[in-house]
Amino acid sequence: MNKTLSLSTCGLALVMSVALIGMPGCSKKSVQSGGDSQSTQDMSKGGAAGSKSGVGNFPDTGVQSEGGGLRGLDKNPSEERVGSGTMLAKVDPSGSAGRQMDEMRAEQAASAAAGLRDVFFGYDSWTISEDGRQALTRNADWMKSNPSTLVKVEGHCDERGTSAYNLVLGEKRAKAVRNYLVELGVGANRLSVVSYGKERPSCNEHEESCYQQNRRGHLAVKTKK
Amino acid sequence: MTPLKLVSICFGGVLLLAGIVGILESGAADVFLEATRPDFQKISLGVVGIQNGGGPDWLGGRIEEVLKKDVKRSLVFDLVDLPSLGIQTSDIGNGTGTGSKVLLRQAGEKGVSVLVWGKAGMKGTDKDADVNMEGFVYDSGSDELVGGKRYVGSHSVVRLMAHRFADELVFRYTGEPGIARTKIAYVAEQGTARELFVMDYDGYDTRQLTADGFLNLMPQWSPDRRFLIFTAYRNRNTQDIDMIELATGKRWTVISLGGLNITPALSPDGNFLAFASSHEGNSELYRLDTRTKALQRLTVNPSGDLSPSWSPNGRELVFVSDRGGGPQLFLMGSDGSNVRRLTFEGDYNAAPAWSPRGNWIAYVCRTHKEYKLCVISPDGQKRMQLTTGPGVDDSPSWSPDGRHLVFSSTSDGKSQIYMIDADGKGVERLTFQGTHNSAPSWSPAS
Repeated sequence: MNKTLSLSTCGLALVMSVALIGMPGCSKKSVQSGGDSQSTQDMSKGGAAGSKSGVGNFPDTGVQSEGGGLRGLDKNPSEERVGSGTMLAKVDPSGSAGRQMDEMRAEQAASAAAGLRDVFFGYDSWTISEDGRQALTRNADWMKSNPSTLVKVEGHCDERGTSAYNLVLGEKRAKAVRNYLVELGVGANRLSVVSYGKERPSCNEHEESCYQQNRRGHLAVKTKK
Repeated sequence: MTPLKLVSICFGGVLLLAGIVGILESGAADVFLEATRPDFQKISLGVVGIQNGGGPDWLGGRIEEVLKKDVKRSLVFDLVDLPSLGIQTSDIGNGTGTGSKVLLRQAGEKGVSVLVWGKAGMKGTDKDADVNMEGFVYDSGSDELVGGKRYVGSHSVVRLMAHRFADELVFRYTGEPGIARTKIAYVAEQGTARELFVMDYDGYDTRQLTADGFLNLMPQWSPDRRFLIFTAYRNRNTQDIDMIELATGKRWTVISLGGLNITPALSPDGNFLAFASSHEGNSELYRLDTRTKALQRLTVNPSGDLSPSWSPNGRELVFVSDRGGGPQLFLMGSDGSNVRRLTFEGDYNAAPAWSPRGNWIAYVCRTHKEYKLCVISPDGQKRMQLTTGPGVDDSPSWSPDGRHLVFSSTSDGKSQIYMIDADGKGVERLTFQGTHNSAPSWSPAS
């Protein structure tokens, strides 16, 4: 008796699960048909926006061949040559890398010589703290007394969270710093912003003291325009 | 084996019911994923062996090892250990001899559906001579020698021969091209720089693609596998979007609008590029028609919008926005219409990747202060956490067959790259060199 009961429960559950598995397919279909009419519209909208400068050339990247070169099994297989694939490019690391490293070191030296201070942020935050405002006031004074210098404001993040979202967060931090410097009277045209997200940490330990050091706005004196 | 599966289906159904009445929601999600997986009934496959037919001692063994791992990872086959079934493996030539026929039938009687074997050797005595490999397939259901393959190539493509043969097996039994010849692009730290690399899907045959000494981030493949598109800090003050051709190393800038230009994603047909750009203020999503170069702004919002990922039919995008405070996933038509929020659980959901089968979106979810992998169905009804434990998981990317994900994680300390089955099982670490490997992107199937 017990057995019959469990069997019928099982049967019901199976019916339910089959019904539910069918559902996502249905709901997706309705979304698709909605998308269909929209995508016809948007072509004209995109065209109206017109092409912009700052856009380079795109090759045709659509898939040309199907099947992936597989020929199937054969009772009397003929010989197939296996090539090394398409990754043929050899990298020459001697080129611009060294030159750019030199440039970066020069920037770091110039920033250190100027005594510019970093601004630190709270977790997930781009609000400038009281300490941060004090540091920026000193930085602004230095910039006013060195009016020919150009400064790049770098926004950095700790290692937590995703790479992509931290790039956006780093940019918010850099812009908050830039905006405050402008408020203090530094010409906006002397300031550029760049976000490094969590890609250029100043320390690598998985602990709060290191996270705090990495959540920073850093001012780099530009040595080259 | 079969009765066991029936029980699990039945059990799954019961769990589902429980989920509906709100008792065991996470269990229900788990069962959904398993039951909708195409590999629900794996085909049992035994590898009799790849014999050495001359050449270096390691040759046959190497190919056999690579082949077995490919078969296992395919999730199409259930790799059976023949000796444990009492089947002694030996050289069975082309499988037509009397002894070999006995062996094959014996394996069939023990429930092995497909048997595979082969031979590898050198074409000539020179140490640079080509390697050749033969592989054969027997199907016990039809008691038939299905056929085989013969490959020839240099020493450097020995692993590729095994991969190719594995893909032929998957193709034979599913009609899909297999994933054994796919690649994974990723970013590796070199000093203060981040450079692009490409490796085979199993972590072997690593190649460096860029060496400019700056940041090269978040590569994505073009649909035809010939190019990568990525964010480049090449001129140090702006972040452009570049493309690189794998075959030639030729590299050029495709987006240089000013500001932060990140998270590029080409549509499945290659006709559109979706990306995030802050050139008009804060980070917004844009869509570029790659043929007419018409640029369309998709989002208008004072918050950050980023990380677009295309639905497989190219009609929708899933993306990240912090318009509600923390980052959450949103869906919209690929023209920016019909925006709606997808994730509501937790205060940090980011880095979405739409599966090639369309039924799941993988993303990074924050739970208990850790950043882990989750999947959610595009209708928001089903959700499951795939990874647990400490560390930051990031950048999930689907295998073209939708059965695996590759992602980065700091779970072993430094950021490294891992593969995981789409149901959260079978984690495999792929990178062991270097101080920081991140942003993996799985290539389309060839």
